[in-house]
Amino acid sequence: MMKFHSTGGALIKDPWDVVAGVVLLGFSLLLLFHLVPNYIGQPPIMQNPMMSPRWLPTIVGWLLLMFSVMMIIQGLLVADDAEDSGRRFERGPWLRFALMALSLVVYVGLFEMLGAVISGILATLILFIAHPVRTWWIYGLAIVFPVGVTLLFTGVMNVPLPMLPF
Amino acid sequence: MENITEVLQLFLATENFVAIAVGVVVGVTVGSIPGLTATMAVALALPFTFSMQPVAAILLLVGIYKGGMYGGSITAILIRTPGSPASACTLLDGYPMAQQGEAKKALKMALYSSVVADFISNIALIFFAAYLAKIALNFGAPEFFWLICFSLTIIISLASGSMVKGLIAALLGILLSLVGLDSVFGSQRLTFGNYNLMDSISFIPLLIGLFAIPEIIEFYRKKVVPHLRAKASGAGVSFSEFKGSLKSIVRGSLIGVIIGAIPGTGATAAAFISYGDAKRRSPHPERFGKGELEGVAASEAGNNGVAGATLIPLLSLGIPGDVITAIILGAFMVHGLTPGPILFQENLPLIYAIFLGIMLSSVILLFVGSAAIRYFSLIADIPKSILFPIVLMFCVYGSYAVNNDTFDVWLMLAFGVLGYVFNRTGIPAAPFLIGFILGPMFEDNLRRSLLIGSNDLSIFVRGPITWFFIALTVGSILLATYRFITSWHKAKQSAGKPGAGT
Repeated sequence: MMKFHSTGGALIKDPWDVVAGVVLLGFSLLLLFHLVPNYIGQPPIMQNPMMSPRWLPTIVGWLLLMFSVMMIIQGLLVADDAEDSGRRFERGPWLRFALMALSLVVYVGLFEMLGAVISGILATLILFIAHPVRTWWIYGLAIVFPVGVTLLFTGVMNVPLPMLPF
Repeated sequence: MENITEVLQLFLATENFVAIAVGVVVGVTVGSIPGLTATMAVALALPFTFSMQPVAAILLLVGIYKGGMYGGSITAILIRTPGSPASACTLLDGYPMAQQGEAKKALKMALYSSVVADFISNIALIFFAAYLAKIALNFGAPEFFWLICFSLTIIISLASGSMVKGLIAALLGILLSLVGLDSVFGSQRLTFGNYNLMDSISFIPLLIGLFAIPEIIEFYRKKVVPHLRAKASGAGVSFSEFKGSLKSIVRGSLIGVIIGAIPGTGATAAAFISYGDAKRRSPHPERFGKGELEGVAASEAGNNGVAGATLIPLLSLGIPGDVITAIILGAFMVHGLTPGPILFQENLPLIYAIFLGIMLSSVILLFVGSAAIRYFSLIADIPKSILFPIVLMFCVYGSYAVNNDTFDVWLMLAFGVLGYVFNRTGIPAAPFLIGFILGPMFEDNLRRSLLIGSNDLSIFVRGPITWFFIALTVGSILLATYRFITSWHKAKQSAGKPGAGT
């Protein structure tokens, strides 16, 4: 279902739509005038332009440009039915979010260096602290789970993972 | 006879039975935990299927899908939180029943109607998929080109939310699917010299990032909400009560089958249409919404009737109808199989072994569902603060396992952030994924058509099948435009009313 909930008064009815539309408009222009000509190779001779590797990305670029303009117009004229879409929510403390981001960094930055078990333990501990989990014995699960899940991948499912740094 | 032996040989492997059972258990468990979705579970399970036989791999994912469809109704009934959008309709009568002390009755009826609908849907799958695949054998590249056009337009026109956003999502999906080496000329497309991107963007990190990571980010961004506890109490369903709702269950199942077979429509629409139909035909329509058992039966029959039927376009034409079937398509591809009419010609025993497994999954759902009702409080009481670190672990390990490279973990996180931005801006992720899958098929069939027709564009209108799909494509675009205009008018009218706006 398309949900429109137009409201009078404000100049911009849905700022999120306008911002997203402007970003997409910029991206489509970048795609059409920089990325497609410079980052998509094309053979010198072609019987039909529709066979070109650039043809579909160019079509997608122009359509993106058109629909991003429509999205900006939609954001200017129509308000978001926020309660239904769940786009607005009550934010928690920033530290909680920052610790979650740190756990992601631990995974991507240290996964190959420390192995799945140790990076898993570190990231899980950070996530437990982020929430924060107040029951002390649950912190023991931060060791049990990474070991268990790693063994599940490597032993049972034969999926290779870097186990330990040594 | 030879084929039957081969089918049984493929099907009777212990691994298949374990895969179905594990799949249904995981599906029901995940579905009954608020905040975790069947889509997320299917995406996370995909890396586990690498080392499995194709039949077991597909059955594991189908089991999760079916279990998740039912599991979503448990939380809808008990704590007024649908585990999946399709279960939203079930809470209309399920939750009032729980408040009246009849939670167990509602849950049992949801289970029985889900199993019956699932069974009917499976029968439809077995009959229609083979028939459709036989017709599709006459399709060439131009026919498939228009079929893909139709699938893309119908998915967008029927997708929830804004049509413009659905189109943008699909276009971004198509664009990302083009990254890598061009299949005809071998030239690089948007790889920026990165060798990891030359073999195109990996499907699994994209999938996990898009459907699991945003939930985790959102959980840690939101204020902590109190953990809800609930119990399934009261009496079960008597045979006479089940018999009284049977007509609605069968009608709902058939509605689910029809809707499920059309790409893009989905289980939510089927549940609401089935519910509306049951209410219209009931001698007591006033009871609906206040705890009517038949309402629970109809909505669950509608959403579970879709489960088997969504596999019809996937198996017979190679076109995924929704996100989960798109993931299942990915599982086929991981095992070197391409769903579609050729699969029916070349791997018929495999298809029928999968069909047998899907039928068995309905029976297993009955037992697992009954246990889930009894032990629901044990499942749902696990706090998300413990669950999400484990989910993240599966995300990272699963992405890494694709190519044994941290690049895929980065990719997964990038798609996770993109999925989160999609959620915040209301851009739907489903058309993005469908666009990502159908994009290369679209381009491939376009180019093959041009080659077959020696660059003559008349090949795209070469016969009745192409005209049929052109008509369907135009029809779906007109439908989308009509929906867009009517919604716009409604918005203008509501804005004009006194008191509207902020």
